[in-house]
This record gives sequence, structure tokens and C-alpha cells, in this order.
Amino acid sequence: MVADIEPIAPVTPVDARDRGREEIFSLSPGQIAGLTGIPGSGLTRVGLSLIAPYAAQGHLAYLDVRGWASPLTAWELGIDPERFIVVRTDDIVTWGRVVGTLLDGMRGVYAEIPHGVKDSALRTLAARARTRRTPLVFRSLAGKLPQGVVHLHLKAREVAWEGTGQGHGALIRRRTLLDASGKATRGMERTIEIEDDGTNHMRVVPNLGTQTSRRFA
Amino acid sequence: MWYPTWALRRPDVSPDAPHQAVDDSNTVVALNPLAHDAGVRVGMGRRAAEALCPTVVTIERDQSADMARFEPVVERIESIVPRVEIADPGRAFIPIRGAVTYYGGEQALIERINKELDTFGGDYRLGLAAGPFAAWQAVQQTSRDSRVFVVTDDDAFLSQLDVSAIGSEELAATFRWLGITTLGALGELPYDAVISRFGRQGMDAHRIARGMGRSPSPRDIPPDPGVESSFDPPIQDFEQASFIARNLAQRLISGLAPHGMAPHRVVVSVVAADGTERVRSWRSADPFDDHTLTDRVRWQLRAWIEGVSAGIRGGISFLRLEPDDLSGSGRQLSLAEDAKETMEMQRVLMEVQAIAGPDSVLVASPQGGRDPAQQVLWSRWGDDPVSHARDTDAPWPGRIPSPAPALVPPNPVPFVVSWADGSPEQVRLASRWVPVLSWAGPWRSVGRWWDGEGMADRYQIVTSAGAYLCEVKDGKTYLLGVYD
Repeated sequence: MVADIEPIAPVTPVDARDRGREEIFSLSPGQIAGLTGIPGSGLTRVGLSLIAPYAAQGHLAYLDVRGWASPLTAWELGIDPERFIVVRTDDIVTWGRVVGTLLDGMRGVYAEIPHGVKDSALRTLAARARTRRTPLVFRSLAGKLPQGVVHLHLKAREVAWEGTGQGHGALIRRRTLLDASGKATRGMERTIEIEDDGTNHMRVVPNLGTQTSRRFA
Repeated sequence: MWYPTWALRRPDVSPDAPHQAVDDSNTVVALNPLAHDAGVRVGMGRRAAEALCPTVVTIERDQSADMARFEPVVERIESIVPRVEIADPGRAFIPIRGAVTYYGGEQALIERINKELDTFGGDYRLGLAAGPFAAWQAVQQTSRDSRVFVVTDDDAFLSQLDVSAIGSEELAATFRWLGITTLGALGELPYDAVISRFGRQGMDAHRIARGMGRSPSPRDIPPDPGVESSFDPPIQDFEQASFIARNLAQRLISGLAPHGMAPHRVVVSVVAADGTERVRSWRSADPFDDHTLTDRVRWQLRAWIEGVSAGIRGGISFLRLEPDDLSGSGRQLSLAEDAKETMEMQRVLMEVQAIAGPDSVLVASPQGGRDPAQQVLWSRWGDDPVSHARDTDAPWPGRIPSPAPALVPPNPVPFVVSWADGSPEQVRLASRWVPVLSWAGPWRSVGRWWDGEGMADRYQIVTSAGAYLCEVKDGKTYLLGVYD
């Protein structure tokens, strides 16, 4: 049951030697992550897991442009229902003001970016997040983000599920291949594989290269 | 000043038939003489009252509308005695210390107030005492035939009152069991012994019994605890005004909470667009919290905006709430609560509500259900928690196993799937067909068959682009969620 979820245990590397990936896959206060990829690629869970550790200190906000956000995922990640606020608005005119206001009082913000938001608005909001030291996750619905805005850019490449067969079983575990870039990767593009079994543990799987994606194709 | 049947002063209430007004918990709060003669009493449950008097007409109390009708009465009294404090629609405290001297004595003042109130008609009562608690007890001693009760000695009057006047039936029953039946007997008990045995509740009861009123104000009072807001353009719509009322009330209460105090009296003042200033005080025996204060401010604003007195011309351009009569009975902070952070969070969410609309800021709580959408109970942030959540511990046969989809449409949306021999082969995503790699299900949902709800089969479908939760119902496929 959702209510029985254990206390939060965010993204955890299975191999302590793989420090590089652990550092990449975390957000410090004031850092911004950007997510691009089609719905179904697992980016909502990835984005929420980046800010989930901050739920222990205060409230998190999810700016839901599509109106489809489900808090079940946040609860599965260990976020207290009382500390998870969903703001539903698809008004592009007020979108920037809403995000800017949320950055002033929330411990973490996950914001979907509607089509048509100007790059300059994103840069302004990113600067505000850095000033307020609020971790911010941008999820672009248009599939692109301007250069230099985010500290960590995660682009979904592939997703593979385990547990289902031809009419039997159930979804158990997902492995998502992400292309990571930005300052967090020191300018180099790296590939990260996330393993997610639906509980509050998401793991960065080590020792995988780009070619491993073929296993799931 | 008290109108015991104020909730029944409505155009749709006939004096020729028994009527009763009930509150949200279906408890009788007012009744007319015909209902009283039939045996109905205030405090009864609605069903019990209707069993006693089957012809009684029951109306639900609307305190907001009641206040709109009460406002002209308060205005009339304020023309004689300033700074009237409203407790509820139909009940107000009138500070008469200065007016008694001005009008030449208590009797002259009572006659003057009677003269003003007679123009409104109705069953009104007056109780005079040195303090608000004694005055409230005094006015309850009145009847339809004897409308005024004057207390000359508060201590003597209070000491002979029944111990139930302390306000807690449970504690009063304990005192009675101990042989203490009056406030006087309670007041004679050693103070330390009462605190030791009954704690904070006993301390308050003992203080009331001795006529001492509340505990003194806390030591650390912020210099200007009031909150205010200006509006350009002015607010003319009541819905908008009530939203603002809630924001300000929450700001006021949360601003005082870190100091461990709460107000027993709040002054609501507005400035209309034409420069007219209106001020009204509200009093409460218990300290106001954000919900009770919001209600009072909303009622007052409605009375000003929609009332017959038409006190706000051109809309509200400025609103201020000023707390007074602060006590240390404020909310206790929990150990983990960071008051400053909570205040900041509340301020931000109120601002977001002002930008995007009050319905746009939501919180959710878990509840039982078979589908992901059913397992979430949404409520508007700032509203009272919804109490009718479905049981999460019930078995819910056919429930979709975790993990839950991260994206759930508010209503199922049509989803194009090609089936072959009962197995999904391809799904249509945007303009292209994507082959199904694997699938699981069905989980059958029987639904409320007694309401004509049909069966539905739910499937988890995995493609190279992601996994989807869909439902097949009446031969059509719908998307229930995306595992994003």
C-alpha cells in the first residue's frame, strides 16, 4: 500500500566505486536539471527522484501543465503526501510567474514546460532557482531545452520493462537509458542506466556502456 | 445582545408553522416557539427533533447569509455604542462602560438599545455584566417574557451557576461526580490541586469559576501583528473576496503561531474604492484558528458587499485584519515544525492561488481503489481535509499492482490498440503504429453492477516507447495511465 512506503531512500548506486554516476545523478540546492523525452520513457519518476530527498526538509511542488500528474509515483518514491503540492495550470502567460513564485517558498520544484515558453524565461527562472537555492527540474514537453540553462540534462534514449510476458506477469522493473550532459558531466555526454523497480529505490546501474542498450531493443 | 432564533429570521420561515435550524452536524441550533412547544430543544439531533414534532420544517443554517442580515442591526447599535464585537450572526458584545455614563445610567442605555432593536422586531435578549463571560451567561438567563438580565455582582452571579458553564460537558460531569455542582464550589478548590489533577483544562475551568477570564497575553508580542492587502482594481465579487479573506486569515494566524499565541478578537477593516472605511470587530471565547477566522471574515465581507446596507461602494480596495486580545492559547508547534518555513510555504501557495486560481493548487491523499485514478483523493490546498476517503486497507479485488503509472488522465481517453486473438499486437502513438513487446492482464473490474456499471478488463501493455495501462470496456480501449 502506498501508506506503507518506507522512509525515503533516493537514487542509490549499487557500486560504491561508481562515484561518478552518483554525483551526476543528484541535485544540490540551486541546481537545475532538464529532462527531455517522450511520455513513457520514465522521466517523471527520474525527475521526482532528483528532488525527493528535499521532501524531508519541506514541501515539493509539481507544476502540472498536462493535468495528468499522479501523486502515486511521488508517494512510491517516499514523498509524504502532505508535502507534495500539485499546481495545475496550462496558462503559458502566467506559467513563468507561477514557477518563480514556487521557487521562493518550496524546497524543490518539478515544472513541466508548456510549448511556447521563451528561452529567456527559462534562463530567468534558472537564475532565480540558483539565487533561492531551490533545486529545480524542468520537463520540456516540446522536447528541447536551451543551451546552458540546466546543470544536468537527461535525455531518454531507451526504456525496457521486465515482468510482463504474453498475457501473464505484471510490470516489475524498468531500465531506462539516459544520455546525460551539462555541467554535471563536465561537458561530456555520458550514458546512464537507471534501474527502477517501482519502490522508493531507484538505482544507477554501473559498468554499462552505450552498447548495453541493445539488450533491451 | 443575543437573538436566539436569528438563524430562523429568513423570508422563507413562517411563524405559523414549527421551524428549526440545524448546523452541519444536524444538531438543532435554533427553533421557533411552535417547535419549542412541541418539545424540541436546542442541542437535539435533527432526527430526534423530527420524531418529537413530525411537522417541524428543518432549514440548514447559513451563517454567511445570516451575517448579511445581521449587519444592519449591528450598524444600528454602533450608532449608539461604538466598537460592537460580533461573536456569531445574532450574537454580539457591546462594550457599555463609556455609554452608561453618556446616557445617564444602565437603565437609560438599555431603553435606548431596546428602542433601536424594536425597529427590527424579533426575539432579542440583553445581558449586562462586567465581563464578556458573565454577560454571555447572563443573557442565557433571559426568556421571551423577561428579555433583559442585569448582573450587579459578577462574582456572586457566577458562583451560583451550574458547573456545566465551564463549557466542557465531560469535565463538568467529573466535577459533579466529585460533588462540585456550581462554579462557586469549583472556585473554592485549591488552584494547585485542580491543575495537578486536571491539567490545562482544569486550570482554565478554575479561572472561569473565579471570574478571572483568560490567561494574560504572552510576553513576546510582535510590534504589528496585523495583516493587510491592497487591491487594484478593487474587489467587487464575493467569491474573490472570500478567497482573499482566507489568505489573510491564514497569514494572520500563521504569523502569530511562532509566538505561541492566537487572537480572541479580530478587527476587520476595509476601505472602499470611494474612500469609505468600514470597521467591525469579531470576538470568540476560544482563540481563532485560520478556519474560524476565515469564516468570520467571509461573513463580514459578504455582509458589506451584498448586504442591504451597501457599505462597500465600488468594491474593496484595502483589507486589514488586526488581532487583539491575544492569549497564549495559540497553536502548539510540533517539534519538527519549522514555523518560518511553513509561513513562507503558505505565503507562496496563496500567491500561486492568486495567480493561477484557487482551484489550481492541489494536495492529494491516499485512498482505496482499483485504478490509479481512484486511489487518489484530491482536495484544494487550504481547504479542510476531505473526510470521505475510501478505505485503503480494504481488499479491492482487481487492483492494479504497483508500480503506479506516473501520468494518469483525469478521465480515461480513447486508446487505439489492434488486437489479434485477444492479444494486443500494436498500439497507435501519435501517427505511427508501435508493436507490442509484451503485455500482462487482464485485471477484471466488476464495478457497481447494481448501478448498471459494466465490467472492464485492464491490461499493462509494453512497447519500445514505454508501458501503458489501458482498459477494455464495451469493446473499446481506453488509456488509464502512462508509466512515465
